[in-house]
Amino acid sequence: MAEEELGPLHRGYYKTEELKQLGVFPPEGIMKKNRIAVIECMEEMPCNPCAYICPVKAIRKEALCKPPSVDWKKCTGCTLCVSICPGLAIFCQQIVKEKGYVTMPYELLPSPHIGERALLLNRSGKVVGEGKIIKPTYKANGNAYPLWVVTVEVPWPELAYEVRAIKIIR
Amino acid sequence: MEDWRISEHPILKFERGRELTIYFDGKPLKAYENETVAAALYASGVRVFSRSIKYHSPRGFFCAIGRCNSCMMEVDGVPNVKTCVVRVGDGMRVKLQRSFTDKLAPLLNRMKLSPLTYIKMFTRPSFIYKPAMKVMRQFTGIGSLPKRVRGEVGKKGDEELSAELLIVGAGPAGLSAAIEAGQLCKNVILVDDKDRLGGQLIKQTHTFFSDVKYAAGKRGFKLGEEMVGKILKMKSVRVFTNTSALAYYPQENLMLMLKGNDTLLKVRAKKYLIATGAYERMLVFENNDLPGVYGAGGVQTLLNVYGIKPGRHGLMVGTGNVGLIVTYHLLQAGVNMKAIMAPSFRRIRGYFVHAAKVTRLGVPIITRHTILKALGRDRVEGAIIIKIDEKYNPIPGTEKKIDCDFICLGIGLNPTYDLVQMFKPKIVYAPQLGGFVPVRDKYYRVKKNVYISGDCAGIEEATTAVLEGGVAGLHAVISMGYEDEVAWAKIEEYKRALEEERASPFSSAVKAALKEITIENIEDIGG
Repeated sequence: MAEEELGPLHRGYYKTEELKQLGVFPPEGIMKKNRIAVIECMEEMPCNPCAYICPVKAIRKEALCKPPSVDWKKCTGCTLCVSICPGLAIFCQQIVKEKGYVTMPYELLPSPHIGERALLLNRSGKVVGEGKIIKPTYKANGNAYPLWVVTVEVPWPELAYEVRAIKIIR
Repeated sequence: MEDWRISEHPILKFERGRELTIYFDGKPLKAYENETVAAALYASGVRVFSRSIKYHSPRGFFCAIGRCNSCMMEVDGVPNVKTCVVRVGDGMRVKLQRSFTDKLAPLLNRMKLSPLTYIKMFTRPSFIYKPAMKVMRQFTGIGSLPKRVRGEVGKKGDEELSAELLIVGAGPAGLSAAIEAGQLCKNVILVDDKDRLGGQLIKQTHTFFSDVKYAAGKRGFKLGEEMVGKILKMKSVRVFTNTSALAYYPQENLMLMLKGNDTLLKVRAKKYLIATGAYERMLVFENNDLPGVYGAGGVQTLLNVYGIKPGRHGLMVGTGNVGLIVTYHLLQAGVNMKAIMAPSFRRIRGYFVHAAKVTRLGVPIITRHTILKALGRDRVEGAIIIKIDEKYNPIPGTEKKIDCDFICLGIGLNPTYDLVQMFKPKIVYAPQLGGFVPVRDKYYRVKKNVYISGDCAGIEEATTAVLEGGVAGLHAVISMGYEDEVAWAKIEEYKRALEEERASPFSSAVKAALKEITIENIEDIGG
């Protein structure tokens, strides 16, 4: 008997195609111009730090319990929302010269350094490639205790849609 | 000997204090002054903490907050000490409470002659009972009282106090109530049975959701530190830690408490606010009493308060927020998590974003499965899980073995209502709120002079507990005559915020249940 496929709310992750259908990703043209926030927060839950911290008011929440939406034209890719999101559900993506860039929150050990190699993990935790850490910053936004916000370079642009975590190779 | 202490952590720095030596069954062990006895033993690899009275099966660490009693040992000659809440001292002598039947137990059990059953024998003729008991107690391993003890246990006598508001429990709800009440009235007493204020906030290393106006974007322990800091500055709030509220006597309007190990505290207050929180649920499966089956809260205490790893490979049972978050905490501490599993049929029970945090780090979530049994002789060595059908019946032939050295249960909480029920409120069963909870009015008043807030009023989030505590604390002082327009405005604001917090579909069941047990006038039911 074939195993029936259970949905994202059973697996604990969305597949990239499912997110594309939900309209989570900005058009490629915008990502080529600028670093853009991608918010993978689809559920109604009481939370609003992202909308509060955004300096250009690009993130909008209709009510405390409504999911946020990003105005891609306004977003400057400052990554403040990445560091404050309690759900660690905000990432930034960019495409420059046939390479992809993903910015993500990182709360694990070891602490990242510039230039280090890292295994790239997708939403289900599978290793999908190897990339380079190009910018780790240690951020303490307002009240939160500091955490790392790490930008990794991924070998090709499509991979930027997949990579959501790293494992530093040391 | 292997040291299970965490040397480096991405978020926390552990202040363990001075290094001490304790003696466990005569052997010297390394300990640190800020550790409890149970934590120090666990860090040195001790897993069996006691034996059950009846069948002498091994008992391990479980709740870590002084509720479950499976860590009772003899400490400095005193038997039945809950080692998970007692700090270590230099040269402390800790002993397992053994009986010579421990080794015989499996045989006796098979012969249906377990030691506790003996105790029910020898009741006739009556004169034989006392001497027989003396002998039989030796079989049970529940220790014997010492002839002489070190220190001044029970010799300091009583202390009598009066207060305008007595708050029991210094978690998010109690702290918030004390902050609000202390600003208006002069005489608030706040008690907690732990040695630190903050309740379960002290081990929440993740950032909280909710509105930025309240707690959002802060790490839980930081929120706790801030609230405790405010309280310690307030002259109107007297704080008693290590103080357990034992009982309330309505005829005398008296709350009896035990301060430390040596002082009885009698408090008479005009208003009482009970914020005793909740305790963890147990799950029924084969071998669920093996050392290595731990409550998620207990694991969190080990990890984030004492900086000790519970094991190498873990299995989490429960896909609620507690299960998901504690799994994330374990990953941060470098523990390999094999899977998160639960019967959850419709979906993962917690917030999706919490689940996404752990799946992207490679922890599979297995829904529609239940745990069949834990494997191992005197500690967990694995688990068998099995698929279930729509009616939650296991499907034979779908068993899977998972290799792990601990199983963590994050399957929900029950409100701790035993203190509040001494005030004789109307108590009802509300499964959506976690169990038995008192009927209250919209200011969380369960009797004319008694308030509740936080998890003991119904299981919810820390952020709602803070708001509820605010409402109850403010109303308690207003009703004593500290009429204040600002206070009324604050109550309305907190109530509006609570409405907003509960507006998501996650809270719809809770909201419906709360509506049912909230009445207009508490005096209608004998308040």
